[in-house]
Amino acid sequence: MEQNQPSEPVDPMLGVGARTAGGAWVPPGAFVTGGRAPRLFSGGGRRGTVVSTVSTLIVLAILAGLFLLSPGARDVEHAFFSPPNMWQSFIGNPKAGYYSVGGAIWLNIRMFLVAEVLILALALFVALIRLSTHPALFPIRLLATGYVDFFRGVPLLLVVLALGLGIPALSLPVISYQHAVVYGVVALVLSYSAYVSEVYRAGINSVHQSQVSAARSLGLSQQTALRYVILPQAVRNIIPPLLNDFISLQKDTALVGVLGVIEANQAANIYASYRFNYSSFTVAAILFLLLTIPLARFTDRLIERDRRRRLAGATQ
Amino acid sequence: MRRVIGAAAAAVVLAGGVAACGNSNSSGGSAGPTSAAASCSPAGIKHLLFKPGVLTVATDNPVYTPWFVSNTPTNGKGYESAVAYAVAAQLGFSKAHVTWVHEPFNSVYAPGPKAFDFDINEVSYTPQRAQAVTFSNSYYDVQQAIVALKGSAIVTKHSVAQLKTYIYGDQIGTTGLTYINSDIQPAKQPLVFNTLALAASALEAHRIDALITDTPTAQYMASAQIKHAVLVAQFPTVGEHYGLVFAKGNKLVDCVNKALAALKSNGTLAALQKRYLGIYLHFPTIKP
Repeated sequence: MEQNQPSEPVDPMLGVGARTAGGAWVPPGAFVTGGRAPRLFSGGGRRGTVVSTVSTLIVLAILAGLFLLSPGARDVEHAFFSPPNMWQSFIGNPKAGYYSVGGAIWLNIRMFLVAEVLILALALFVALIRLSTHPALFPIRLLATGYVDFFRGVPLLLVVLALGLGIPALSLPVISYQHAVVYGVVALVLSYSAYVSEVYRAGINSVHQSQVSAARSLGLSQQTALRYVILPQAVRNIIPPLLNDFISLQKDTALVGVLGVIEANQAANIYASYRFNYSSFTVAAILFLLLTIPLARFTDRLIERDRRRRLAGATQ
Repeated sequence: MRRVIGAAAAAVVLAGGVAACGNSNSSGGSAGPTSAAASCSPAGIKHLLFKPGVLTVATDNPVYTPWFVSNTPTNGKGYESAVAYAVAAQLGFSKAHVTWVHEPFNSVYAPGPKAFDFDINEVSYTPQRAQAVTFSNSYYDVQQAIVALKGSAIVTKHSVAQLKTYIYGDQIGTTGLTYINSDIQPAKQPLVFNTLALAASALEAHRIDALITDTPTAQYMASAQIKHAVLVAQFPTVGEHYGLVFAKGNKLVDCVNKALAALKSNGTLAALQKRYLGIYLHFPTIKP
């Protein structure tokens, strides 16, 4: 199967990998889209390591110098990086009027986990509808297309506000009496499913038509072919862009804060406006980085593993 | 909380004494000697101004009654607009020599140069905040109040134990949240909104049982802004007061404090409070 795969769906993936790995740091052969993948920590042997270390140190020194020599460096340091303020905002003290940013990130994580599962399911459903060909399904296809256009076009923040304020105002039984977090997660799911359904669709389209034909000629029904032949290949192709969207989703859970929910960003905002010190935002930023960086590295690894497997297949 | 009250009370006492003897070391940081205080005329404070010859006053956008009227700070109506013009007049600036700029609450306390002389936007003094900016003395001593929808439980049931059972909402950066958490201690976590408008929407949508804000704002919201809303009661004073916000260490605060002291002693502040806030202040006080 793998040998038959066309190269089109592969190259964009390698493109993603090249950008993620930040090839710009390695002067010789920075962007390699063919046989050897660019990696974050690489270079031409020992000399390459020396060169990359020195250039990294020089760049860091320039950045630090720019910061320290600016006239307001002390003020900025106190306003954004004051250790006592960072610690206090991290542990929080509700009785003094502010919440723990460290505790609030747990809400972001839970929102992300729930939203991710729902998005994967809803987006696949929408993608399959859009790819369906039966004439009777035309109105649903139209709806699905409208849905994708709408939710990709409307800013996520507006979706969060519209659902979070609009649905409770309807005073419907049950639906209107959920916690604000629920509306926030629904908004995330609706918006992100529109994007992810397009990723799915691209992935399914990237599986060559011959795969369908081969499966059908073996006597598999349309559904069985889709389930056992097309989707497994499609999903493998789209794992890097999917994870890319999920890294973005992790950060966008912060938007639910506008509904009054005390998630990490809102907790930081509360601290900042109480103490007139922005160090709490630095804490929130660090926590979000701690969440997203492992996922980004994991994505890199998956891309690398997938590339090795495909190359192994090519030499058989 | 106790610390805040104590410090705030100390600041008020200090400010009173300071205003009397014309010295200034209240809001921490305005540590300049008082030689400049000799001349608080436009010429004397020229070097302290953001734009020479004019007094640049900042506030948020939108702004609400009774602090401003029709979201137009330049009309001189509403308590804060009137106070700003009264301070300007005291310093010798005619109405034409006062400019207004918009400054979101979150950027008022950003480090670095400010694009205004002072900000007037219901900002409560706290010792922690005074580490980042310089506050003037009080131009209004404020209490917090409960706004709820007519017919909701909290309107009639607000004993100490009952107050703990509701979901509260509050605008970010207001002292109402401190009050909720330290004195009411509700069972459910309150919701904290970035703007008062969002908090009002949440109340209308039954997302929260009650909204906590300063009494004049609360009464305006209950009477004009939110349909079917009512001001339930106000909480006892905790020594909270609003101050004008200056860039940290801006010596203009000395002259403005003198102007405020003069406006206080000649009855102008009291008259403006009666005119713009008077109808908003007759409410029962409850103690959680």
